[in-house]
Amino acid sequence: MDIRFSPEEQHFRAECRDWLHDNVTGQRRPMDAAAAIDFDKAWQRRLFDAGWAGINWPKEYGGRGLSIVQQVIWLEEYARAHAPWIGANFVGINHGGPTLILNASEAQKEYHLPRILRGEAIWCQGFSEPGAGSDLAGIRTHARIEGNELVVNGTKIWTSFAHVADWQELVVRTEEGSQRHKGLSWVICPMHAPGIEVRPIRKMSGQVEFAQVFYDDVRVPLDNVVGGLGNGWKVAMSTLSFERGTGFIADQVKQSQEVEELLERARSSGAIKDERIAEQLIQLRAEVAALRAMTYRNISEVVRTGQPGPEASVIRLFASELGQRLERMALLLAGEEVLDFRYGDDDLVADYLRGFAATIAGGTAQIQRDIIAERLLGLPKSR
Amino acid sequence: MDLTPDTEQLALLTATADWCRDNMPLDQARARPAGLWAELDAMGWTAMTAPDMGLTHATEALVFAELGRHLAPVGLIATAVAARWSEHPGKTALALLDSHVAGGRVRVYDPVGADRALGLAGHLVATTPLPSDLGGAPGLDPSAPLAHLDPAPPFTALGDPRAGLHLQLLTAAFAVGCADAARDMAADYAKVREQFDRPIGWFQALKHICADMAVRSAVARSQLYYAAAALDAGDAEAAFHAAAAMRLADQAAIENGRANIQVHGGIGMTDEAYPHLCLKRAHLLSFVAPARRDIILGEAA
Ligand SMILES: Cc1cc2nc3c(=O)[nH]c(=O)nc-3n(C[C@H](O)[C@H](O)[C@H](O)COP(=O)(O)OP(=O)(O)OC[C@H]3O[C@@H](n4cnc5c(N)ncnc54)[C@H](O)[C@@H]3O)c2cc1C
Repeated sequence: MDIRFSPEEQHFRAECRDWLHDNVTGQRRPMDAAAAIDFDKAWQRRLFDAGWAGINWPKEYGGRGLSIVQQVIWLEEYARAHAPWIGANFVGINHGGPTLILNASEAQKEYHLPRILRGEAIWCQGFSEPGAGSDLAGIRTHARIEGNELVVNGTKIWTSFAHVADWQELVVRTEEGSQRHKGLSWVICPMHAPGIEVRPIRKMSGQVEFAQVFYDDVRVPLDNVVGGLGNGWKVAMSTLSFERGTGFIADQVKQSQEVEELLERARSSGAIKDERIAEQLIQLRAEVAALRAMTYRNISEVVRTGQPGPEASVIRLFASELGQRLERMALLLAGEEVLDFRYGDDDLVADYLRGFAATIAGGTAQIQRDIIAERLLGLPKSR
Repeated sequence: MDLTPDTEQLALLTATADWCRDNMPLDQARARPAGLWAELDAMGWTAMTAPDMGLTHATEALVFAELGRHLAPVGLIATAVAARWSEHPGKTALALLDSHVAGGRVRVYDPVGADRALGLAGHLVATTPLPSDLGGAPGLDPSAPLAHLDPAPPFTALGDPRAGLHLQLLTAAFAVGCADAARDMAADYAKVREQFDRPIGWFQALKHICADMAVRSAVARSQLYYAAAALDAGDAEAAFHAAAAMRLADQAAIENGRANIQVHGGIGMTDEAYPHLCLKRAHLLSFVAPARRDIILGEAA
């Protein structure tokens, strides 16, 4: 075991740092949805042009073909430089692209992957439905096959970035009368196709970042099925493993930054003299260090064996709850000032409010605990 | 960067686990045979990082977590530190010096056959010769013979602060093992104990208790690995990482120890069953080398 990075990796880190130093301007992502999307796309394009997009994606699809360790180094430097949040590129970069790399046909990969990396195509994830949240296998949105097309009807909900997306990871029932995990397909759905209606939903933090999507006889080429008709559950599970696993490394790295900022704030305001606050900050600092150690362990496991260890689900749960503890701490240190929050503010209150997503989206904390107990500890399945 | 054990370390871990299962099972922690120490010594675990051994702190921490899982004698911690940093290798008792004031009473663990005691005072390790007739009888932790030095003789500090980090690291490793033992004991019981015609582990309320135990164990173990590798690398932040590891390992050991008893229900509270052994060991370990808050906050002078 060794925490030191190789000379080559250190050199790579210096390159990241230099570029970020010269290119991160401190400009915040705009609150307005349309302006935000332009911002996200332009920033992603700059990353791509400078060689920072898809660091560990295969070269033939526009990536750099480097290791996951270098990807983590980049993310660490990215957080340190206060570079912009990935925003609407989250789905494509973190789980859409990786799902395609693992499961898609050559033609699908060749078309979509470079567009994701260049920030030209925004993706969203159409898994959840009003009647299928934690119980994802309860999906009812269906597609009948007509010639070489799928005809989709139904509705998806909580679809982040649906209102700005070009493509969607859509999981639908393609076998009539099929039950649960069977008869589903993972489809690349064009979001601009006729018959799609997107109704944005406002969050309690004021932002409009997700939506309900309605499908009324939406025609999608059969060629857009990924991983074969009827294999949707398997492909969706690989999407979730990326979403729950490596997809959150960026957030985890950011938390080390945040705890230092909280400490700084507590010192300058004198709040640290309060025993209870000092005690919580001590705990947070230790936990954030441990989270980094867990991430490193997980990454090392990927390097060694090609896949994350079974403890990936533990990291996800721990990181999501730790993030919420950090957000609460920020709120506590801010004091009464939080009461002046208004929709449109993009501040620590907004972060606190949208931070509830961490233990809901991508599998709730309760579902994660079930998974840990059943898969890691071998307790009997209750679902 | 690599925070997973390599093949050699994995082989050593398996060998250690096998040996412990056969020779030092947790369920006999209260009545360790008199010859156990000599066997531990023969296995090389009393001096893994001694100058002529060439093993890393990381390797030692891995092995100590395994030993800790079987509630091995806590004297191993002091003895391993003495072998690395003092002029007096050989069996060394573990002293609790954290809140010790000159001339006061000092608790010493595993004194039988030890001619010195060693403990952490502030950030330095300090030792003292022991009288040979000290004896020892279990206190709270039934698996750890305890004696009192009253009044305590003066302790002499070893100059190198890394000795203190070493002691803290090994204590954290024992605590990580102790937390793992409680987690596994709880999960195993939840699979076999039946109520309402099904294993109690089927019920989510218990499942989630067990999942939280797994989280605490994984968190503490990860930080332990990082801290050990930081000490090996001479990292400037090694003291912080060791303190963070100690704090998280203490929490994992105590909280898992408590949760394990809850999972067992009535039998969990008995003297006869094993859960209390983990809990009591966890409480003992929390006094050996407690994490200092100024170090975790990065404020130490
Ligand atoms: C900000 C945000 C963004 C999202 N983005 C997307 C997206 O882009 N695409 C997408 O497809 N989905 C998205 N989701 C949806 C998300 O995946 C679901 O909200 C989540 O899976 C939970 O489903 P649900 O909301 O229906 O809650 P429910 O499943 O109804 O859960 C309600 C409560 O019941 C608990 N519960 C449910 N079942 C069990 C059980 N078996 N045992 C114990 N407790 C249980 C849950 O833990 C929760 O506390 C997003 C959600 C949020 C909050």
